[in-house]
Amino acid sequence: MNLLIAVIPILPLAGFAITAVIGRRLGKQAHLIPVGLIVLTWVISMIVAFSSLTGGGPFEVTLYDWIPAGAFNVEAGFYVDNLTAALLIVVTTIGMLVHVYSIGYMGHDPGYWRFFAYLNLFMFSMLLLVLANSWLVVFVAWELVGLCSYLLIGFWYTRRSAALAAKKAFIVNRVGDVGFALGIMAIFANTLSLGEPTLNIRESIEMLTNAATAGEPLVIPIQIVALLVFAGAMGKSAQFPLHVWLPDAMEGPTPVSALIHAATMVNAGVYLVARANNLFAAAPSAMVVVAAIGIFTAILAASIAMTQTDIKRVLAYSTLSQLGYMFAALGVGAFTAAIFHLMTHGFFKGLLFLDSGSVIHAVHDEQDMRRMGGLSRKIPITYATMLIGAVAISGIPPLAGFFSKDEILGEAFKLGFPWVWAIGIVVAVMTAFYMFRLIGLTFWGESRVDPAVEPRIHESPPVMTWPLILLAIPSVALGLVLGLPLGNGILQSWLAPVFEEGVHALETARNIQPEAYSILGVDGALIVASVAAAAIGLVVAWRFFGVEIGARLRRAPDPEAVRSVSARAPFLYRASLNKWWFDDLYDLLFIRIGGWIAAAAWWFDREVVDGTVNAIGAVTRQTGRGLSHVQTGRVQNYALGIAIGLIVMAGSYLVIVGR
Amino acid sequence: MPRGLLTVIASMFVVGTAIGLPVLLFLLGLLKTPEDVLFFVFAEVLLVSALLVVTMRDIIRCGLAMIVCFGALAGIYVIAGAPLVAAAQVLVYIGAISVLILFAIMLTQTKAAPSSLVFQTQAVGAALAAILLAIIVVITVGATGWGAVDQRIHTATDELATLLFNDYVLPFEVVSVLLLAAVIGGVFLAKREEGGPS
Amino acid sequence: MSNSLDAYLILSALLFAIGTFGFLARRNAISMLMSIELMLNGVNLAIVAFGAFIPNLAQDGSVIALMVMAVAAAEATVGLSIVIAIYRNRKTPLVDEYDAMRR
Repeated sequence: MNLLIAVIPILPLAGFAITAVIGRRLGKQAHLIPVGLIVLTWVISMIVAFSSLTGGGPFEVTLYDWIPAGAFNVEAGFYVDNLTAALLIVVTTIGMLVHVYSIGYMGHDPGYWRFFAYLNLFMFSMLLLVLANSWLVVFVAWELVGLCSYLLIGFWYTRRSAALAAKKAFIVNRVGDVGFALGIMAIFANTLSLGEPTLNIRESIEMLTNAATAGEPLVIPIQIVALLVFAGAMGKSAQFPLHVWLPDAMEGPTPVSALIHAATMVNAGVYLVARANNLFAAAPSAMVVVAAIGIFTAILAASIAMTQTDIKRVLAYSTLSQLGYMFAALGVGAFTAAIFHLMTHGFFKGLLFLDSGSVIHAVHDEQDMRRMGGLSRKIPITYATMLIGAVAISGIPPLAGFFSKDEILGEAFKLGFPWVWAIGIVVAVMTAFYMFRLIGLTFWGESRVDPAVEPRIHESPPVMTWPLILLAIPSVALGLVLGLPLGNGILQSWLAPVFEEGVHALETARNIQPEAYSILGVDGALIVASVAAAAIGLVVAWRFFGVEIGARLRRAPDPEAVRSVSARAPFLYRASLNKWWFDDLYDLLFIRIGGWIAAAAWWFDREVVDGTVNAIGAVTRQTGRGLSHVQTGRVQNYALGIAIGLIVMAGSYLVIVGR
Repeated sequence: MPRGLLTVIASMFVVGTAIGLPVLLFLLGLLKTPEDVLFFVFAEVLLVSALLVVTMRDIIRCGLAMIVCFGALAGIYVIAGAPLVAAAQVLVYIGAISVLILFAIMLTQTKAAPSSLVFQTQAVGAALAAILLAIIVVITVGATGWGAVDQRIHTATDELATLLFNDYVLPFEVVSVLLLAAVIGGVFLAKREEGGPS
Repeated sequence: MSNSLDAYLILSALLFAIGTFGFLARRNAISMLMSIELMLNGVNLAIVAFGAFIPNLAQDGSVIALMVMAVAAAEATVGLSIVIAIYRNRKTPLVDEYDAMRR
């Protein structure tokens, strides 16, 4: 078992290494090794995950002592418990399907081999992150993931916008990483002051939470530690205010968007906070911050998604919004709900992204929805799977999204955060609205496709449609599988041992008793509320953008109504269209003002610092030049010097001894 | 007044002072014995001629002043009771070195020489240095107890000769070799280059 | 005065000082050499004076003075030859024009 666990990250790493070296020569066959290795990784991950979930775990594997430094030891090792198992399932399944999908999508790209090398590197980094048992290993994997996102977003590096987007992603990520690094240092400082320096995740968190509950003062208060760790999660999972990189990251190829921004990388932040749930539970004020930022990001992103015209941008903002939900769940203490949503979201968002890729492929690289329409008849498989994804994300039962979203909202309400619940309901309305707006613009109504392209619209090849179908299945079924029976689903029982300490700590801190799940009481009302919210969003979307489901549910789109509504709230419309001007704000603050500061600093460096150094040199040179006048070349001048020296010596001797 | 008259009056003044001063001092009691007077006169001549050596414009005249200086010095040697040294002084310095210097002056004279500056720009500093040097030595001399006797010791020549050829014969011989080397070196250095301008 | 050692020594010091001044201040190389001779003579005077007044040094003083005289003669010879050789090269006896070693 230990060997299997150790092998999981090594296989994709080997895939990357091999493909990087000999990939170019393999040409069209370059996908064989990486995809094959990923399939193998998936198999092994499933074995490991299920053996953990069926009670075999948790497993801990130590590969080697990475940094032995006396009393302090950092080991490179892996830890597998049920949380890790859940993440493994999501990451490897979606990763594998994206790899297969890429065979078709990137088939014509000259950088084919490079793409698969990067994909494999990315899988390695993510698996390392999920499996790691030490903060330092997590940090290394964290950075690697950031690097891979840079490489993959900027895959088409000759495109200026892609290169800029990749830089933006990396830099914004780094801002969060500073917080994370400080958090790790804070953890180390605290464990050091408590006597046993360690960076093992479980041990260090245990030490910190014990000290915090016992009331011992820590070098760095636990709230600060928690907030710093959350800062890292904010960067990676694109929470406000570090959310600006995710939409631009759509410059990368669609499989990249699916993998990184829907299914795996952005989940790293959620996983981090979930893994450190004890830490956060010991710092309730930090958790409130997490919840607030999460739900704010959710509504912010949803508001922007409602007016975007690029199909991938809508999905990107949707991801931001759903991530906000996950952090809101973590913040209120509904850890299992957050992970549940992570899993379901991974599948249906991955499905939606791959579907969008299929749509784009079909209309020959057109991404603007205003030039799509009526595609439902022409690309049926894509249409069907995308519709399933949209229904899932809107939270309509009995698809997966309903179960996980309802659990989040329900827990938020019951754990004493009614404002989170209220905002969450609004976001649910908006989610259903923009998703069906997307479906309406893309698949229904009259075709607005460029006439030159229209005859060539075709369904994607099987290598691309099979992953879509395979992803649609968990989008439908996962909720039923993991979420039933309501209130105590299978996932709940799996993850209970991971979260029980944190949940218990929160209950004692907030003095809330866990109530039994009552379908006819509060919980039932909450379910009705969330379904109603989804229904409202749905109906409004159908009103404006039309609907064509089956023979009887038909309505034409109404562009006039759309225009009049948006005309009645011009500020909101413009704000939404301009992403609430955050990019402009950051440009002003950091590029312009930062540019001035940099220019001033450069002036200082040039004139003062270099000036000082040059001045020293100049002084030396001038002194030398001045002194060189002594060298006249004439003997008599030198003789006078000798005479003076003699007089000085004899005279001073006379004077000193004479006294 | 015509120039010649000025020169005559100046020289009379100088000579008068030169003779008058010792007489005055004799009368004042500072110079007790005739040797004292003689010593004073010789000292006067020595210093004045030395000053002329270093300050006169025309080098030939400097050379001649130097001869006078050496002569006065020989006189002082006699008074100090070293007659052989005095004789050697006259023979070597006046008879050989001064002549050599005069020859060298004549060999290196340029037409531009008389009109150019006598002194360097550092003459002031040099004067200052010289004065300070003199002061230091004088103070030191005055402050030191030499263990001197009251009366001059006269060195007889035969005693000197005995010493020279018995105890100091090695330095004597070495000096002769040195003189030989100097002569050879001097001839070689000063000889005319083959085919070069003289 | 002729019986006091100090007088002779002061005289020697003055002669040496005058020689130093001439050596440092005159432009002609031969003048410098003449000044050197003055300095040497000043020293000689001091030696003879010591020989005259210090019993242990009675005859030694004169012997040393003779040696100094001989060495001075040798040095004058070589020095003058050098000056003549330089004069042939530089066409001038003025030492402030011998500044080829200037910076």
